[in-house]
Amino acid sequence: MSTLRLEARELTKVLSSGGKPLTILDRVSLAVAAREFVAILGPSGSGKSTLLALLAGLDRPTSGSVHIDGREIQDLSEDELAILRRDHVGFVFQAFQLLNHLTALENVRLPLELRQEPSAGKQAAVLLSQVGLAERGHHYPSQLSGGEQQRVAVARAFATRPSLLLADEPTGNLDSKTGTFVLSMMSELQRQHGTTLILVTHDPAAASLADRSIYLLDGRVDREEIRRATAAESTR
Amino acid sequence: MTFRFVARQILREFRGAGSRLLYFTLCLTLGVGAVVLVAGLSLALDQSIRREARSLLAADLAVLGSRPTPPEVVAAAEQLPGSRTSRVVETVTIVAAGGGAEPAERPPRTLLVELKIVDGPYPFYGALRLEPDARLDDLLGSDGVVVAPDLLPRLGTQVGDTLRLGGEPFTIRGVVLEEPDRIGAALTLGPRVFASRAGLARTPLQGFGSRIDTKLLIALPEGTTPAQLRGAKAELEAYLPPEERFRVETYDQAQPAIRRGLDRLERYLGLVALLSLLVGGIGVGQAVRSWVSSRLDAIAVLKCLGVRPREALALYFGQALLLGLIGSLAGAVLGTALLYLTPALLADLIPSPTLVGTGRFQVWQPAAIVRGLLLGVGVTAIFGLLPLSRVLQVPPSRVLRRDAEPLAGSRTLVAGCGVLLILGIGALAAAQSGSPRLAAQFTGGLLATTIALATAAWGLTRIAQRVPRGTGRLWLRHGLASLGRPGAATVGAIVAVGLGLLVVFATRQVQTQLLEQMAEELPKDAPSMFLVDVQTDQWDPLASLLKEQGASDTRSVPVVMARLRAIDGVKVAELVETSARRSRRWALTREQRLTYMQTLPEDNRIVEGALWADPSPYEISLEEEFAREDLGVGVGAMLEFDLQGIPIEFKVTSLRAVDWESFGINFFLVAEPGSLEEAPQFRLATTQIPKGMEQATQDIVVSRFPNITVVMLRDLLDRVISLLSLLGIAISLLGAFTLVAGFAILTATVGVESRRRGREVALMKTLGMKRNGIAALFATEYALMGLVAGIIGAAGGGVVSWIALTEGMELEWSFRPLEYLQAIAICTLLTVVAGVAASIGPMRRRPVEVLRELESA
Repeated sequence: MSTLRLEARELTKVLSSGGKPLTILDRVSLAVAAREFVAILGPSGSGKSTLLALLAGLDRPTSGSVHIDGREIQDLSEDELAILRRDHVGFVFQAFQLLNHLTALENVRLPLELRQEPSAGKQAAVLLSQVGLAERGHHYPSQLSGGEQQRVAVARAFATRPSLLLADEPTGNLDSKTGTFVLSMMSELQRQHGTTLILVTHDPAAASLADRSIYLLDGRVDREEIRRATAAESTR
Repeated sequence: MTFRFVARQILREFRGAGSRLLYFTLCLTLGVGAVVLVAGLSLALDQSIRREARSLLAADLAVLGSRPTPPEVVAAAEQLPGSRTSRVVETVTIVAAGGGAEPAERPPRTLLVELKIVDGPYPFYGALRLEPDARLDDLLGSDGVVVAPDLLPRLGTQVGDTLRLGGEPFTIRGVVLEEPDRIGAALTLGPRVFASRAGLARTPLQGFGSRIDTKLLIALPEGTTPAQLRGAKAELEAYLPPEERFRVETYDQAQPAIRRGLDRLERYLGLVALLSLLVGGIGVGQAVRSWVSSRLDAIAVLKCLGVRPREALALYFGQALLLGLIGSLAGAVLGTALLYLTPALLADLIPSPTLVGTGRFQVWQPAAIVRGLLLGVGVTAIFGLLPLSRVLQVPPSRVLRRDAEPLAGSRTLVAGCGVLLILGIGALAAAQSGSPRLAAQFTGGLLATTIALATAAWGLTRIAQRVPRGTGRLWLRHGLASLGRPGAATVGAIVAVGLGLLVVFATRQVQTQLLEQMAEELPKDAPSMFLVDVQTDQWDPLASLLKEQGASDTRSVPVVMARLRAIDGVKVAELVETSARRSRRWALTREQRLTYMQTLPEDNRIVEGALWADPSPYEISLEEEFAREDLGVGVGAMLEFDLQGIPIEFKVTSLRAVDWESFGINFFLVAEPGSLEEAPQFRLATTQIPKGMEQATQDIVVSRFPNITVVMLRDLLDRVISLLSLLGIAISLLGAFTLVAGFAILTATVGVESRRRGREVALMKTLGMKRNGIAALFATEYALMGLVAGIIGAAGGGVVSWIALTEGMELEWSFRPLEYLQAIAICTLLTVVAGVAASIGPMRRRPVEVLRELESA
């Protein structure tokens, strides 16, 4: 498993809204070390999700650049971006984003199958049991509770042991108890796998698990809080 | 990403595909069924013809002609090593039921029949099934006949009774159940009667003017190779007189004329079938569009997980093809089931057990099924590609923001899909018609029609948007608003239904107008009866007999048979060698019918020269097209004829235009009186018999003059009309497939939109609208839609029928407003039924279910 360093330089995203340009992100720069857990906080509309999308190569910046392990990604083709995500990036979303026509187990298997891993089924089953859903593998998402769906999503995100995990409000649709459980599970897996984790949230409690918190306001970095120096930090 | 992964994903995607599969099946079944039916029918008949080729010729090879086979050809055939030969003559004549020699109070019933005389063993191949089961020769003797079963009730006779042939009595010794080489009975003039040559010799038939078909059947020894067969053919052809109309056919050519006809028919019917499949394609396109819309989130997730855009496209494309294949399979089953029923339906058209009998007509046609499946999947591919290309543009960031901008889709992609669609239709049409030219015409015509339909539909929806909605009933306002709502679905459904209606309506218009004109075109004073082979001395008594029967407008002309010998001193044989056109060669060498008269009938008009104005030579007047195109002569040309060995020369002094539709007796060649009176001749007569008296007159004429053949024009026309009706029914049925496919698509469109529908219904219910009110509202929307489709389809159908009738058939076209209104009304009604039926599902749901669903989405 590789470790990965992520860097954003002067990221700007301008959308047109009703014919007028609307700046969502304004020259945001940040660097994330390998194995670091960074929380991005901020009120609605501060540009958190847009930043996440740009970091993962899901969207293209209006200007600025994103470097993953020193490689600029904003000029890669859709195909190259897809392969980058397949090999290095995992996602957890607020709306779970499980594929409804696949069972829980199949959802977890999918990224493994994409990478043509020979024992995809076995690995997926292990992951599901790690998130406590060993018995629910053959259920469809619609048959699972919100918390269960998010645990499946977490298992799916970690299935390929990605070096970078991006989480967008993973607890937003969950009650606080379930939310806490999912978060602690994620942070546990992050530590276990040595994953770099970027968590977008507006829940300070969630952010408290992170090594560092970055606060966005109106598309700019407002402030940063370092909670503890990580192993990665020391390599800076 | 491996093929296995894609395959597995396709199968997984299949899970939620129940309703989608239903739409695909709805859209494709009818079209594929029609394609399989047409292809299967053609293949099955072709196979029957090839497999039974020897039976259908009843020989290995045969010399066919319309004159007695020349003796040197017969001799040559007999000298082929190991050959056996048999001579067959067929002619049309009249038979009368029994009775004694002296005329009874009422003359016996008479009937036009096709007489067949066999001289020698028959058939060499295939089965002549007789009842009682005996050899034909033994049954016939010199005084027996064997008849088709349907002759017996028509003459009120049975086996053992007497039948008069040319006035001579024959005993009906049996019936013929199956005759191997009789194929197209729909085009025959009457039932079959077999007699022997010895029997025929007793009658005055085979007279000078009788029209006969001859066949010299030749069987070669077993083990004759195809090369030897062709050698034998070449040898016989060498003996055929060059100017005669004979041809040698071998069994391995397998009835080339019939197969050519079948081919041609298959091309057109194949295209009609393709049309209903293409209409289905519109529905497939819409189903795919709506399916992709519902999968945008899933596609974004897949892209997040690292599926490349084109892999995602492959996945959904593969899924679409799989659905198309399954839908097409249902169509193949339908087509095969219909094929199973066709022999019974075709009984009137092709009553030949050799071709469509049990065990001979192969219902299982794998090639037709494969064709249907390929076309069905092909249609899915070309109509699905454009909506599927949207998969490429789904932004992966959609997982974070629903309103994320789609990835830049290149215009070339959309244009490429459009071009592919048109090329694909062209390719399918080429596959169906086997003719690039026909395919190009079909595609071009379809494209133009579709553009016209779509433009009209679009224009009407725009008008619907503009109609002021301030006043009027709620349901009308809302119906108009729904029709004018942005989105391609309405236009697509209107085009589909309109196209279906267009085909059916155009076919119906052409059919009814064609048949009516054929029936009406008979002018009031057209003769109802033709009398052939009247001997010169029979004419006076016949004329007075006809008068007694109430006949009016009786006419008769003498007919002299002659052959053209030279034109302007150049021998016909030389002219034949230098002329490339077959029709011209035939015109030069065939036996010509000449008449002579002082004044021309009313339906003739001199267009050049003057009639009988030149005092010195014998003059002749020619029909203008015959003169110019077939003979290549004009006024002033000298024509030399051979009149049973005696030469006679005419000068062309006038050209005539003839109104052939008057059904009067007309001739290409009319000679000056005084030129031909002494030549051997017979008379042709026409007369008008009061309605209902035709059969009685025929009976009495035949009882007095057994050699005369009576042909009733009404009977002949009825046969042609019934044949055309059958063809019309076939096209209408295939056209109806298109219309039904149109409604299926409408239902499917409504079905795939049921999500949106559900939301509307939920909102309306929440706002306090009752179910009846909602139903009325939907009914209005669909009525407007059906109205638009109906108007466009009927108008388009009218235009197509106008082109087909006036340009294609040179007939008159008439506008019948009532039929258009009927078509529009029926179309509107069916659209309402289909639309409301498909909306029942969403209407039944409780608003809270739908609203909750929306919330979670």
